[in-house]
Amino acid sequence: MHTELSYAELASLMERRAGVIVDPADLELQSDTPFADFGLDSLGLLGIVGALENEHGATIPADADACRTPRELLDVVNDVLKARA
Amino acid sequence: MTTKPSRPDERRTVITGMGVIAPTGIGADAYWKATKEGVSALGPVTREGCGDLPLAVAGEVHGFDPAALVEERFLVQTDRFSHFAMAAADMALRDAALDAAGAGEFAVGVVTAAGSGGGEFGQRELQQLWGRGPKFVGPYQSIAWFYAASTGQISIRGGFKGPCGVVAGDEAGGLDAFAHAARSIRGGTDAMVVGATEAPLAPYSIVCQLGYPELSTVREPQQAYLPFTDRACGFVPAEGGAMFVAEEETAARERGVTARAVIAGHAATFTGSADWAASREGLAHAIRGALDEAGLAPEEVDVVFADALGVPAADRAEALALADVLGPHAARVPVTAPKTGTGRAYCGASALDIACAVLAMEHGVVPPTPNVTDVSGGLDLVTGHARQADLRTALVLSRGLLGSNSALVLRHGADARP
Repeated sequence: MHTELSYAELASLMERRAGVIVDPADLELQSDTPFADFGLDSLGLLGIVGALENEHGATIPADADACRTPRELLDVVNDVLKARA
Repeated sequence: MTTKPSRPDERRTVITGMGVIAPTGIGADAYWKATKEGVSALGPVTREGCGDLPLAVAGEVHGFDPAALVEERFLVQTDRFSHFAMAAADMALRDAALDAAGAGEFAVGVVTAAGSGGGEFGQRELQQLWGRGPKFVGPYQSIAWFYAASTGQISIRGGFKGPCGVVAGDEAGGLDAFAHAARSIRGGTDAMVVGATEAPLAPYSIVCQLGYPELSTVREPQQAYLPFTDRACGFVPAEGGAMFVAEEETAARERGVTARAVIAGHAATFTGSADWAASREGLAHAIRGALDEAGLAPEEVDVVFADALGVPAADRAEALALADVLGPHAARVPVTAPKTGTGRAYCGASALDIACAVLAMEHGVVPPTPNVTDVSGGLDLVTGHARQADLRTALVLSRGLLGSNSALVLRHGADARP
């Protein structure tokens, strides 16, 4: 089963959980750009982390919602998901 | 008739923009057209999950497409009452040709009134809480259902960094928000985005209202809300409201925009819950205070927009309060309650009445009180058809179910100083 968080899934979560629409390819290309620049605030990121935990049945470290960029978040989340695989 | 501003050197507040979202129409033009025709939009409650509730009739807003009016992130992060507020504020700002870029970001503030908060959003998240657990509640719940949500989102969305506030003042809060805005303007702010919208028709919000003994559970829309009649059986709830741009008179003139009305006076009192007889004295005191602030005599009131709760004791108290303050003029002045065609959207109801009062003065027309015939109680309630009249001064009254009584006096826009 493919469990790794992709930029496409993150883009989809940003839209569904926070109403922030971003092209997955742009998110990947600009993966070091702060979430704030995409229009995602801290509540939005908190909701995305919560949704990932619920969808994957995983516990993601509490500091994940302090990630500033898409790349940082993917690294933190995928470390958890890979460790479980 | 002469203009008698009580403090001529004071910074006066005028209305330069309006946006309306009502069961009878979206936009001030559509709302006014329906209102002057006496159209009633009361109808069955059609919202999902409400079918088995004892409340059968409400004033729902149909044809409101939030996706066409507010951006995606506000759709996801905020409640329907804030969608209404943002869309109505946009209309008002367009009407007033005002934005933060032109006015200066600290020159514009925001104040709204709210009594219900974000019920639909809250319903969804509380279902998650009880159905699946706390981890399934989204974080935007923390801001979407709270009374101040609309003020905050309008401020963020428009870039308005002037004084911001929310009046949690029960139904009369729609009038009190104007007093708050006028105070900010007296204090130096050039313009305020002000008003109230509500969306209290989610199942959970309706259940909260079922405890009000004043709520009408009559099932026929034409019979459900008949204030000032022998068949009065309570009030019908509604959603919607209105937002405005209130502006310092000189600042508006210098921008070259027309004053649609002048905020001339306001007063508010509190007489406690479940005592409608006591609201007579409270409302009378508020009317007196608002007229005093406006520097107007009772006989100068040309039209009254009544609170018109539809509860016999409350209607009687309102008629007596008018007689107490206006004397013999109370029996002659046209009184109207257009809200019998929309229902009462809590704080949004009094905000809608302000919009209606402005439109009535502009058009020289007192709109009728839909569905109501056979008036009892000594008031000249306008029913059936609209009435032509030269209207320079409008008195708007509102009471909250928990004891607030407020009066707001508006003057015709031509009363703005040249």
